[in-house]
Amino acid sequence: MSTQKKLWIFTFLTVLLLLIAIFAYFITPYDPNAQNLAKALQAPSGAHFLGTDSYGRDMLSRVIAGAQVSVLSTLALVIIISLVGVTIGILCGYLGGRVDNVIMRVSDIFLAFPGMVFAIAVAGILGGGILNAVIALATVSWPKYARLARSQVLVIKESDFLKAARLSGTTGWKLILRHIIPNVANMLLVTAVLDIGTLMMEIAGLSFLGLGAMPPTAEWGSMMSKGRSLIQTSPWVVLAPGCAIFLTVMVFNLLGDTIRDYRDPRQS
Amino acid sequence: MKKLGLICLVGMIMLACILQGCGGAKTGVETKEKIFNYGTTAYGPSMGNVGLNPHENYSGWSTVRYGVGETLFKYTDTMELEPWLATGFEQVNENTVKINLRDDVYFTSGRKMDGQAVKECLEDLIKVNDRAPDNLNIKKIVADGQTVTIESTKKAPILINYLSDPYGAIIDMKAGVTKDKNVAGTGPFMATSVSDTEIHLVKNPKYWGGPVKVDKVNVKAITDGDTMTMALQSGEIDATQGLPYASLKLFKNNKDFTISSSPTSRTFFAAMNYETPALQDIKVRRAIAMAIDKKNFTEVLLNGNGSPAVGPFPDNFTFGDKSVTTASYDQQKAKELLAEAGWEDTNGDGYVDKNGQNLTLTWLTYPGRQELPLLAEAAQASLKAIGIELKVNSTANYMDFIKSGKWDIYASAFVTAPTGDPAYFFATHTLEKSLRNRGHYVNAYLETLAKQMDSEFDKAKRAQIAIKMEQTILDDAAFIFASHLKMSFVMKSKITGFKAHPSDYYEITANLDIK
Repeated sequence: MSTQKKLWIFTFLTVLLLLIAIFAYFITPYDPNAQNLAKALQAPSGAHFLGTDSYGRDMLSRVIAGAQVSVLSTLALVIIISLVGVTIGILCGYLGGRVDNVIMRVSDIFLAFPGMVFAIAVAGILGGGILNAVIALATVSWPKYARLARSQVLVIKESDFLKAARLSGTTGWKLILRHIIPNVANMLLVTAVLDIGTLMMEIAGLSFLGLGAMPPTAEWGSMMSKGRSLIQTSPWVVLAPGCAIFLTVMVFNLLGDTIRDYRDPRQS
Repeated sequence: MKKLGLICLVGMIMLACILQGCGGAKTGVETKEKIFNYGTTAYGPSMGNVGLNPHENYSGWSTVRYGVGETLFKYTDTMELEPWLATGFEQVNENTVKINLRDDVYFTSGRKMDGQAVKECLEDLIKVNDRAPDNLNIKKIVADGQTVTIESTKKAPILINYLSDPYGAIIDMKAGVTKDKNVAGTGPFMATSVSDTEIHLVKNPKYWGGPVKVDKVNVKAITDGDTMTMALQSGEIDATQGLPYASLKLFKNNKDFTISSSPTSRTFFAAMNYETPALQDIKVRRAIAMAIDKKNFTEVLLNGNGSPAVGPFPDNFTFGDKSVTTASYDQQKAKELLAEAGWEDTNGDGYVDKNGQNLTLTWLTYPGRQELPLLAEAAQASLKAIGIELKVNSTANYMDFIKSGKWDIYASAFVTAPTGDPAYFFATHTLEKSLRNRGHYVNAYLETLAKQMDSEFDKAKRAQIAIKMEQTILDDAAFIFASHLKMSFVMKSKITGFKAHPSDYYEITANLDIK
């Protein structure tokens, strides 16, 4: 199958996921938060396609609603860290000198900690909630993008076209906006898309530990956490959100791979 | 060739090492040590019971539960008092009790337990513990041979009951408390190491109650219920306390396991914060109480392991649930009460509001008891149905929020009648000076009844006063009592002598055996 065809397919699947996430509460067959204790832990059936959880809530509705939290919070996180990280990285690479030294040493401090452990500590201080989980992960994830952007800028600075642009009188913001950013964007776009899967797992991980989404918010990680004790007796409670995470991460990873192959066939 | 020879040599050395390891050491007589591995969710810093010093916080529960310490009297299965380290007592007058001690008890330090040892222990108790001084009101203790005479500052009708609280476990104060909070008690076991997560015990060879059948006991705090389930299934532990309700069905009707259950007076209940403006209105409190579905909480979420509560005490007490009334579950009436209080959904967002502000409350609880997060989420849905937005904060750091006052409703689990007497719950939770009156609830009539109970010796009259006090707090909707727990131990079928007790005090005893 050609790369272009694959790109169409995965882009379609991604757009479908995004539409499900955005319009989740309009398409759920039941209210995801409506409890009905009389129907607790029912196995998958015609009335409840993915069964019900321990509060009698429809699992399919909660998985769909969970897409809104899980997917949109992940996208928000990726946008934040790539914008912040890339901006910092470009400034460091372009300005160099003391600014570069100081900021890179700060990023070294952040990189010295194991990412997830640091995120757990930050989330623990900030408290529960999906917003705090996003802030915690953003705090530990921006250095990667800063370093990538910086290294790209250092290469571009020595290139002939940039020297030519400087000679023709282009300097400062104009140089960054017209010549540096377009050349950095490609590589960073691929990185960002590939990171979506990883970051989604990290948000799910924080929720699993009780540091992410708070009840009764449907979020895939917290749903898996709450359903752990039921894995032997009512496995659908864990399998449904688990499969949702698996499929979503797979779609984004494959999209990222395909974009990379499409932009740079030498790497395929 | 050389290489081949070297490889052969290395291979032979390795083979020799393996065969050496296969051979067992020769012993004269083969002994089979009985080791009991016990997993529990009820031990740990969040429970306030780490270590074995009975005078510190709730650590007395660990001292008694794990067979290290014993009290002067203890409770039978029907919550009646019977002698334990004592042989009996005599009510000298309304303020004074004379207790006769057993003559055959020694601490694991080697010291004989006598009146002087008991006096030293009780004096340290009232110096160190935050609950004991107000419970016991001890003025003077006189030791004379194998007797102690305790004089209280006022009438002490239930002094013996309070002395049977685990904080009354008798330890050797001359041996003191070690850095890792180990003590010398009189029980069938003694600890060899104590930490925040594990206690390792060996049998007391000189136990006064006769030979101890099990040689070693390892108590492990396992905070995660699923980990505990798998540990029991894999054989890593022999018995559990606090298994998730969802996991119990894996062990029911399974010949490899037995379950010992007992109704207890451990009650899951919520206290209202009277500092919250919205909760100062009795109609709002009553609406909240009427909105919570206790029956389904107990039958579905607790899998029937309990009984829906009316008041703080279960039915098996004469002053229990049968004697008091509260409004039944009725969400429609709850909405009407809120409307009477001025809370209506004027903006159509699904939540009631007043003066442009939605009625939003924070429900604080802790995850250390698995039932509490379940109650929180069930309450959240129930209150949403009547238009109240409930934010749930379930955290192990709940005390920080209690101290800062950042809560509106606080749900907890408490053994309400550990002394078999109703006074304990009221003294600890409902009076103005009660240490656990987190919501600052005050009722003058309640204070008067409490004073009457303090000086009443007759059990039937005490029960009558208790009923009036319960009804007062229910009428005020100061507390919402959700369920009384039926506690279960799950164990391998080869374990005997390990029984659930209604007081929740006694777990590892000299009766423990492994077939």
